[in-house]
Amino acid sequence: MEQRRQNVSRRDALKLLSAAGGLTIVKWSRSTFAEQLPVNQEIEPFTGPGPNPHWNSVGPYVGEPQKAPLIGLTDRPVQLETPRSYFRSVFTPNDAFYVRWHLPDIPNRVDLAEWGLKIEGNVNKPLTLSFSELTEKFKPVSVTAVNQCSGNSRSRFQPRVAGGQWGNGAMGNALWTGVRLRELLDAAGVKQGSVQVQFQGLETGPGPQGSGSNVFLKSLELSDSALDEAVVAYLMNGEPLPMLNGFPLRLVVPGYFATYWMKCLTWIRVLATPDENFWMKTAYRVPDTLRGNTTPEEMKAGGVKTIAISRMPVRSFLISPDGSSKIPAGMNVTLRGIAFSGYGKIVKVEVSEDGTKTWREARLGEDHGAYSFRTWEAQWTPKIPRSYTLAVRATDEKGKVQPDEPVWNPGGYLWNKIEKQEIVVGKVSGGESR
Amino acid sequence: MRKRLSVLVPGAGLLLIAAGTAVFAQFQSGSYGSTKTNSLAQTISPQLSQDGNFSVASFPSFATELAEGEGRAETQSFCAMCHSTRYITMQPPLPAPTWDAEVNKMIKTFGAPIPDAAAKKIISYLQDHYTPENRKH
Ligand code: HEC
Repeated sequence: MEQRRQNVSRRDALKLLSAAGGLTIVKWSRSTFAEQLPVNQEIEPFTGPGPNPHWNSVGPYVGEPQKAPLIGLTDRPVQLETPRSYFRSVFTPNDAFYVRWHLPDIPNRVDLAEWGLKIEGNVNKPLTLSFSELTEKFKPVSVTAVNQCSGNSRSRFQPRVAGGQWGNGAMGNALWTGVRLRELLDAAGVKQGSVQVQFQGLETGPGPQGSGSNVFLKSLELSDSALDEAVVAYLMNGEPLPMLNGFPLRLVVPGYFATYWMKCLTWIRVLATPDENFWMKTAYRVPDTLRGNTTPEEMKAGGVKTIAISRMPVRSFLISPDGSSKIPAGMNVTLRGIAFSGYGKIVKVEVSEDGTKTWREARLGEDHGAYSFRTWEAQWTPKIPRSYTLAVRATDEKGKVQPDEPVWNPGGYLWNKIEKQEIVVGKVSGGESR
Repeated sequence: MRKRLSVLVPGAGLLLIAAGTAVFAQFQSGSYGSTKTNSLAQTISPQLSQDGNFSVASFPSFATELAEGEGRAETQSFCAMCHSTRYITMQPPLPAPTWDAEVNKMIKTFGAPIPDAAAKKIISYLQDHYTPENRKH
């Protein structure tokens, strides 16, 4: 029955229309019938072996606690992708913010009367800070920063690689408020000879102790300048974090991929020797090459040197129009989107109407800081009814421009190829576009 | 400490699965309830108490549709301990050697306790249904 309702035949449609009657109706019905009425087809449940052709991943919408309906990648542990339309706003709403966990035992409940943040390891004075000590004893600071999964857009890879098959929606931008990480480290007193600081949250799994399936751990070099900008955040867009985004406390490392942004942060551990746990030594590593590129052949041959993933390469997106409906020829429309880079400020966004042959500069929106989404806008008046390939590319303050070449590495990381969008422009009566 | 829960939450229609909810004084984790995809009912705000507990409902979990065939039962029982089998069906069609490598990664790197015979069966099953040559759904 569902099926029949979707496939209203041309004859049925004519019947309906003639019942409504009137000359004008016939006139617009004629142009309607130049093409078939669109059919609302369900999206396929998987994509491949070619690249995922959709902007987002292909999972069903799911309703998780504290969340708007989001695109479900996996249910246990929870992985959710943010639909494209939410990126119309520069700050991603908390309830629409994507979710990515690795291990199944993630909190449903945290007792803030009992919970405390522990700062331990190679420190002079190990500390346990209660939630109120964190919010009251330390100066609150705020930073706007993009949180993007290392594997965002993994479903574009050719050949495809195993892992979370994200479209473009494993990213979000928020105002994060909390305490400077360095202030907490100073309070505990980092001992001489320390090399790294390790972060652990309330994310565990049933796997054997010492393996990656037992606990999720990430570390950063103590000398890394990213630590100077890192914030231990208890507010996200001015509200407590959703449980699935890391309530009550999340590490924020502006410019860095989200793998370091430990959720439900409960242990900060200063290390005297480098962290060799699975999530540092084996996972989240990229080839030590330009753009983290390699090939399946080089991987097979062996000897590809890898480094821990760090900053996010420059990216930009067209958010609207999204290609799901036509634009009348001759109409002026506003192209809107976002851009960001983990290497600093976006200085330029360009759009192309001819699939990257020619470019013109877009107007940048308000500056919310070097690590925030930067919105952009451009006016477009397509005169001739046909299909256009729009493209967008950004340049960051280090002079890095998005290339039109793909990325390939076995982890499916660092994708930042120029994004393209087909837009169909339809004929209108009168005017030069007739 | 792990508690096995199997509780019907009235109203919500969620059946908590015994996956291994862990209950500690400071926090509780890993509670999943089964539900249907494609049914996104609105929910009402729960009753909240003024104590220190900040909690959310169980995370909905779905029955993954695995292709029918020899080895499916083994896959369902051994590949759903640390994650749901959505981890399998989410993947694009992967070449046969990749499935071999994935199952071995689960055993050697992640310590999945899977007997050799079952592992062999699972690999064949994945290679029979989830490669570019044969994947249907
Ligand atoms: C001991 C725990 C455990 C068991 C049992 C297990 N896995 Fe995994 N699996 C993991 C972990 C941990 C990950 C990484 C999760 C993440 O990053 O989201 C993973 C990820 C995956 C992925 C995604 C690709 C990748 O390599 O990260 C696939 C596919 C997968 N598992 C298949 C299987 C199959 C098939 C089985 C049954 C043979 C299985 N798993 C059993 C722990 C396990």
